[in-house]
Amino acid sequence: MVSEKYIERMQELFDIKKVFSKPEALKGIRVLDISMIIFGPATADFLGEMGAEVIKVEMPGRGDVMRNVAPQGYYWKNVSPAFFAQNHNKFHIAVDLHNPEGREIIRRLAARSDVFIENYRPGTTERKWQLGYRQLREINPSIIYVSNTGYGQWGPYASRPSYDALAQAVSGMSLITGFEGRPPVKIGIYLGNYFGACLSAVAVLAALYWRDKTGKGQYIEHSQCEALIRAMEWTWAYIGLTGKRRRRIGNRDHVITFSDLFRCRDGFVVIEADTDDELVALLRATGNEHLYTNLWLRDDFSKEDKIKHIHDIISRWALKFTRSEIEEESNRFGFVCAPVQNARDHYENQHLRVRGSVWEMHDPVYGHMIEYGPAPKLSETPGRFIWAGKPVGFHNEYVLSSILGLDSAEIKALAERGIIGKWIERKGSKPPDDWYDEGVIY
Amino acid sequence: MEEKSWEDWIREEEGRVFEKPEALEDVTVIDISTSHAGAFICSTFLAEFGAKVIKIEPPGGDRGRRWSAESFYHRGCGLFYLSEGRNKYFITLNHNTPEGREILLSLVKKADVFIESFGPGYLDSMDLGFSKLSSINPSLIYVAYSKYGHYGPKASGNPRSYDASDQALSGLLYVTGEPEEGDKQLESAVPTRTGSWISSYAGGAWGTFSVISALHYRFLSGRGQMIDITNSEALMRFMEYTVLWYHVSGRIRERIGYYDLAVFPYTFIRVKDGYAFIAGYTDPNFKALCRIMEREDLIDDPRFSTMDARTQPENEEALHREIEKWSINYTSDEILEKVLSYKGEGIVVFGRVNEPQDTLKEPHWWERGTFRKFNDSHYGELILQMPPWKMTETPPRVKWACRPAGFHNELIYKRYLGFGSEKLRELRTKGII
Repeated sequence: MVSEKYIERMQELFDIKKVFSKPEALKGIRVLDISMIIFGPATADFLGEMGAEVIKVEMPGRGDVMRNVAPQGYYWKNVSPAFFAQNHNKFHIAVDLHNPEGREIIRRLAARSDVFIENYRPGTTERKWQLGYRQLREINPSIIYVSNTGYGQWGPYASRPSYDALAQAVSGMSLITGFEGRPPVKIGIYLGNYFGACLSAVAVLAALYWRDKTGKGQYIEHSQCEALIRAMEWTWAYIGLTGKRRRRIGNRDHVITFSDLFRCRDGFVVIEADTDDELVALLRATGNEHLYTNLWLRDDFSKEDKIKHIHDIISRWALKFTRSEIEEESNRFGFVCAPVQNARDHYENQHLRVRGSVWEMHDPVYGHMIEYGPAPKLSETPGRFIWAGKPVGFHNEYVLSSILGLDSAEIKALAERGIIGKWIERKGSKPPDDWYDEGVIY
Repeated sequence: MEEKSWEDWIREEEGRVFEKPEALEDVTVIDISTSHAGAFICSTFLAEFGAKVIKIEPPGGDRGRRWSAESFYHRGCGLFYLSEGRNKYFITLNHNTPEGREILLSLVKKADVFIESFGPGYLDSMDLGFSKLSSINPSLIYVAYSKYGHYGPKASGNPRSYDASDQALSGLLYVTGEPEEGDKQLESAVPTRTGSWISSYAGGAWGTFSVISALHYRFLSGRGQMIDITNSEALMRFMEYTVLWYHVSGRIRERIGYYDLAVFPYTFIRVKDGYAFIAGYTDPNFKALCRIMEREDLIDDPRFSTMDARTQPENEEALHREIEKWSINYTSDEILEKVLSYKGEGIVVFGRVNEPQDTLKEPHWWERGTFRKFNDSHYGELILQMPPWKMTETPPRVKWACRPAGFHNELIYKRYLGFGSEKLRELRTKGII
């Protein structure tokens, strides 16, 4: 039995109400991010969660494509809801990278930054924009420079463009997912982007720790195909040693003894048992404890047949209960179970609210928001969402004056010549219709 | 400017892995987790960056060593450990004995990071929890993995979980798979789990992220801390706008097979020799796709002429049909050739849907060292995927594959605690190691 006192102590240690009274691990680290869509911006976002100051650079006018990547064409307050998940806590500036003076602004900001992130095709930042690693380290030797791509910076396919689902396809991840004989399954989220971004952020942190000790910066390259290849566990060793292909087995697990998806009264649950203890617990919960000796331990049945028999029993049993009833049984008896949760389940889940995994905040521009919050919980330096993504060029004045010392006449002149800019009268780019000037910092 | 092209320079720079130092070479990690894939992968990632990871198993070995596919074992080792045991030092210790407990405490005093997966309160009840360990080593970074976490209303539930459960809790399971089609009761038209143990990789990645953040903070402040991680929340952070969309519109995101809610075309299609992925969803990219397909008539079709029109579900279906009418006539290589030789405005992204065996045949990955045929002194020739990061100063690397339980007992107990062979024999007899 878990001690309630212990959980109370932990609750106190991690109390979400105290997050803003605690320090940030990456305070004082400045990230300059010229990337677009998800893979690069999410890398910056994750560092921003831990307290880094992220400057997001977009093209004046339309800005980042994700502003218009709208689920079923749905916009919220003039921007796609899909823009927010990888854009928190950032300062938004819009600078024309195609203009040499715009690139000069980026160079000056890079000279004052710790981390630089880009996700263009290999060589673009160096050859086209003079913003390559070899050029930036001349003006800032301790810079940590990250390039995110599909296929990497070099190699036969390096120049090929990529997206998340392309990485799912070419890595092999799609064809180890789903049922034999059916079309490949596209994973329901942009997994290669977010998982890849998390790994990119990990490499930045490792480089930062190295820099703490030595003062040296470095160049990091990360490919989303390679990220997914890395995450395919034993697939490669298995093929190497046996020469066999990895079968598609739907919702079962190649490794865990008993694991599958079951229909129940109000949706689906996953039920699993790997150890004998867990299997006994499962059989006991369904009133079939005798099957452990009468079936499971016998060697005159194949493992496949035994599992099928138990599977059929559980299929019938599960239909009688709700997801939460079965979850309670799993806790009471000691097998493993989880409800298949959807957006509403997450929204209404108090456990996730208490832990800040579903995060509530009031943004000065967008108002009340509920999003997936920082994943790991750190007792001393917890991650946090401070504000949401902003319209294009929202923080031009603040960033250019506070870091580069430009005065308002200089900023105005740059804007007049189109070197910097703001939002235009277009969905995705512009503020909500009812917004005046709340949240603007000068 | 520079003499060498960028590609040549970076390729050469990244080739000199073993001439260079490791980012975490001064960090010692104790991983006492048991059969928890997320915790295990966390310590693997740290070991790839150069941390000295001491993996403590009960005498006889961790149950996770038996994790394998199709009942295949290689020289007694399950494939999960074989693939993810890289660079670790494997020792055994029974921390349930008074002497074993003292040994654990002495190791913790010398460690920077401690990783466990016993569930909330278990180690604490043995006075080996965060409060005890941080009292003997105040700068310790203590990482706890469990199903629901160490606090919150559900924290007292069964702390064990496996990948499919964590995918279910995260919401990923709900949005992945084929939709139901009318009354057809297809076995495959259900929420579908992503094939690999992706929740554990998410948990491992966020664990590594937190540990190195905490190391950086500790470098500045001297202070350690506790980190509470669940694989399901780790994966949930990758669930994008799913909960925000519900908050602002009341819509629940459903599974939609190979379609996409927000961008189209961005989908799998049939080709002459299997399946492929194709995308051209912004206006210039969609036009490029139409030109490559020689279907410029689609560009001005009102169903497809804007990004928002293209993502209406019925239009996605119609456009998917139009693309397949064309793609089914060509092999994946033929289409790739058309896409790569297109020189007009806009970019089409295309690639074959590979079986893992096909991926292993692509020379690109072998040239880049994504895969390596690894001749391990204990396990012989293995194909392993290498660390996914390339870094010019501190490149991550693989030094060895897994080792049997207790393989490094002599080395570690001598190096850290000074135990000689006499002492080790005694501990072995008592069943402590």
